[in-house]
Amino acid sequence: MPLITAADWQSVLPAFLVAASALVVLLVEFLPVSRRRAIGSALALLGTAAAGLIAAHGYGAAVATFGGAWIGGGFTVVFEEIVIVATLFSLMLLAYTERDEQFSGSCALMLLSATGAMLMAGAGNLMMIFLGLELLSLGLYCLCGLASRPTARESAVKYLILSSMASGFMLYGMALLFGATGSVALSAIAQPGMTSPLFALGVGLFLIGIGFKLSLVPFHVWAPDVYEGAPIATTAFMSVVTKVGTLAVLARFAYAALPPDKSGLLLPLWVIAGLSMVIGNLAALAQTDMKRLLAYSGIAQIGYIVAALAGTTALGMRYAIFYLVAYTFMNLGAFAVIALLGDDQKEDTHLNAFAGLASRRPLLAAAMTFFLLALAGLPPTAGFLGKILILSANANVAAKFGMAYLWLSGLLLTGTAVSLYVYFKIVRAMYAPLRSPRALPAAPRSGVLPWIAVAVCFAGVIVMGFYPKTPSDVLPTVGTAVTHILNAKN
Amino acid sequence: MISAIILLPVLAGLLAYAFPKALAAQVKWFGVVVGAITLAGVLGAYGMPDETHAWLARPFVAAYHVGVGTGPSFWLALLLALCTTCALIATRSREQRNFVAQMLLLEGAMLALFLARDLLLFALAWDLMLIPVFILLVGSGGAAHAAWRYLIYNVTAGLALLLATAVYGIIFGSTDVIGRAGLPPIGGLWQTWVFIGFAFAFLVKTPVWPFHTWMPDAYAESPSPLAAVISAVQSKGGLYGFLAIAIPLFPDAAHAAAPFMIGLGLIGLVYGAFASLVQNDIKKIAAYSSLSHLGLILVALFSFNTIAVAGAVVYLIAHGLFSATLFLVMGFVEQREETRTLKRLGGLGGRNPKLAGALSIAALAALGLPGLAGFAGELLIVIGLYGAGLVWAATIALVAIVLASAYMLRLFQDVMQGRELADLPQRPDLGWTEGIALAPLVLALVLLGIYPQPLIASAPNASATMTTGAGAR
Repeated sequence: MPLITAADWQSVLPAFLVAASALVVLLVEFLPVSRRRAIGSALALLGTAAAGLIAAHGYGAAVATFGGAWIGGGFTVVFEEIVIVATLFSLMLLAYTERDEQFSGSCALMLLSATGAMLMAGAGNLMMIFLGLELLSLGLYCLCGLASRPTARESAVKYLILSSMASGFMLYGMALLFGATGSVALSAIAQPGMTSPLFALGVGLFLIGIGFKLSLVPFHVWAPDVYEGAPIATTAFMSVVTKVGTLAVLARFAYAALPPDKSGLLLPLWVIAGLSMVIGNLAALAQTDMKRLLAYSGIAQIGYIVAALAGTTALGMRYAIFYLVAYTFMNLGAFAVIALLGDDQKEDTHLNAFAGLASRRPLLAAAMTFFLLALAGLPPTAGFLGKILILSANANVAAKFGMAYLWLSGLLLTGTAVSLYVYFKIVRAMYAPLRSPRALPAAPRSGVLPWIAVAVCFAGVIVMGFYPKTPSDVLPTVGTAVTHILNAKN
Repeated sequence: MISAIILLPVLAGLLAYAFPKALAAQVKWFGVVVGAITLAGVLGAYGMPDETHAWLARPFVAAYHVGVGTGPSFWLALLLALCTTCALIATRSREQRNFVAQMLLLEGAMLALFLARDLLLFALAWDLMLIPVFILLVGSGGAAHAAWRYLIYNVTAGLALLLATAVYGIIFGSTDVIGRAGLPPIGGLWQTWVFIGFAFAFLVKTPVWPFHTWMPDAYAESPSPLAAVISAVQSKGGLYGFLAIAIPLFPDAAHAAAPFMIGLGLIGLVYGAFASLVQNDIKKIAAYSSLSHLGLILVALFSFNTIAVAGAVVYLIAHGLFSATLFLVMGFVEQREETRTLKRLGGLGGRNPKLAGALSIAALAALGLPGLAGFAGELLIVIGLYGAGLVWAATIALVAIVLASAYMLRLFQDVMQGRELADLPQRPDLGWTEGIALAPLVLALVLLGIYPQPLIASAPNASATMTTGAGAR
């Protein structure tokens, strides 16, 4: 019997397909035709979409392949699909904003980063987690530095240094875990009765690395600067895909790898999630640049998602994923609107760009309002339902273990109350009458792809808000898939 | 069918944005027609069976469950449809499309609130109805702080409602509970805390002293059609919440909280009346008088006396009618004289007899003149309070009713009577559109004053559902 079978390869086919698309897009550059950019973006979108279709076939019970290094099945597929959807939207924005001469390179880097995130989604041992993480990050360093603005280089260097440091923490944590358990496999970590102090230290360092990647307070300081300097498509990509990959690792680690008697080690994580919800929103209050504002609000949004995982209940996992999908749609929708605000020459990401937008471009203003309502957790959006589901997950833990467990809900509501001012500041700018008529910016470039992104995100946010049956029909198996991860022996 | 009533204004509101700029003047009449159809729809839906669609199966059962019924829901929906239609007729705005569209969206959201039979749907409609008001408040220019205060207070209250709903859903297993008699209440400590969550939201929205500080500015800075709708109808969301949700679902907690609630209501009743006496802004006089009147309704609801509750239901509607009339009339005054300051107004009655007539009827209804709508409600409430043994509360209520005469007559005299100020831009009397806007409201005030029986008859249902709990008296 061969060591690696066809089934093994099949389980990683979607990730490989995305990586292959990256190489194909690079080759398009050599074609002797004029419409290389259109062909390149079409190939990238098609390749990613095909990966999504193939990945959907892998949905089912968890299967361990490559000797347990990779775990396919429901949980992995859900996270892979979120990565793919986010990558599709980011590619649309990239095709709209990126300069011609850089398009193929940026596109390929983005696809490679997406591959990294997909590897993280299915990683079954610590090596694989690190491999995915580095692949994801390396592409992003370059993407951040590619823009012509001087801030882009600053952004890239900052990201490189801080992210490498986080990787260092994580790697050291992994080494300690290996030292404590004698194995890199997550299933080996899950054995109960571990008494070595190395184990607790390893988990702690590993979680610090995770906190960095999720930009949770107090490991968040890099995010606003990096977001601000990076080109808009990269920012949009980063704001979702890095989080999805890291959340997949975190969820698998917290639910399946950590033995139940060690779940107390996760308490600091819930605390920093609570801090992120409040501090992220408070810091967003002072921002005048949309990318910085969304960076801080993203810190808080990820805090909400991690808060749903608190108590590691199946219910919490389900609603963390629900909110993650909703966040993907609403955040990328908001970024698409911002991309549409800019003109040919430069991005217009200052808050002033929104002044009087309701009378200049009512449709765009309505779309932005809608996405902001979703981010604020107000109806008629998936943000509203997502928040109440997270609150329910918390209430569920509290009903089991005692009312004091509602403290995270309290912080969530505090953060949300603060965030109202953040988001409605933009709504107000759009709808308030202008004191002095502002010089209109240059005629906006017509773009079909960002509008498609806006429309699809809009549909996603509203359908998930009123017809959550679709995700919640899918998600019960996710809850069971998580518990099956360990039972899947190769 | 019931969904159609809710969806019609929402869809029409979105459609209003599609009107070309050239037809902007017609948007208003489009809105009026939609409002009138909605009004007819609500009337036609009286007693219609509920409509239910599954929504969530986990973590708790939630349904898209709406029903009109024959009780307070129906009357409040009717009040809402009537007020919105009249407010739209009275609309004059530069950004006509935006205004009409948001007013219709507001109507749809509030219809969903009053017709919701599911707590989650109720919470959704609660948050939804705040957004158009914010957009209209900032869109009307100036006074950003009023919009911010409105939003922050009410959405924070909405968040408390959201958490309470989630906890209730998890503990009880279903949120499809509004208007269901005989449900087992949830256990002790949880009941207290969930009740507090709901009560906080309702107290802020009503508003009840000391949570009222967002209200005077928001009402004064709103364009008057909007002020008419939010003061007449949106404020009833909180009291309706007590009537339909907080008291029947959490009877023990409600009975325990009754002295506290009655205390807050009485303080608001007296404070609002005195504050109203000294205001110089005519809209703020009406705003503080609302604080006073709504405090009285809160006291009545927490007296758990059948007669007082019947009075509260009558007064809910009566207050809506005279409050809407007052704000619309004030809007007309403001449009004519370009000021809301009492000191700068005077003697308008001589040139505007019809306007003076409308204001006098609204003011007389507000001070509880027999024969107009306010009287029946106030009388029943005072009798009920007395019957429930709350003699001191009844006494304070009577004092406040006397104060109401003082501030309403002061308002009428200073605006309509007295020396005619020469430097005011005197404009003609009520035009026919303005007349049409006021006529249905004034007519309803008179009708309800003469024949409040249908409302009183609908109320015992309310008090029956609310006293089925364990701690019923």
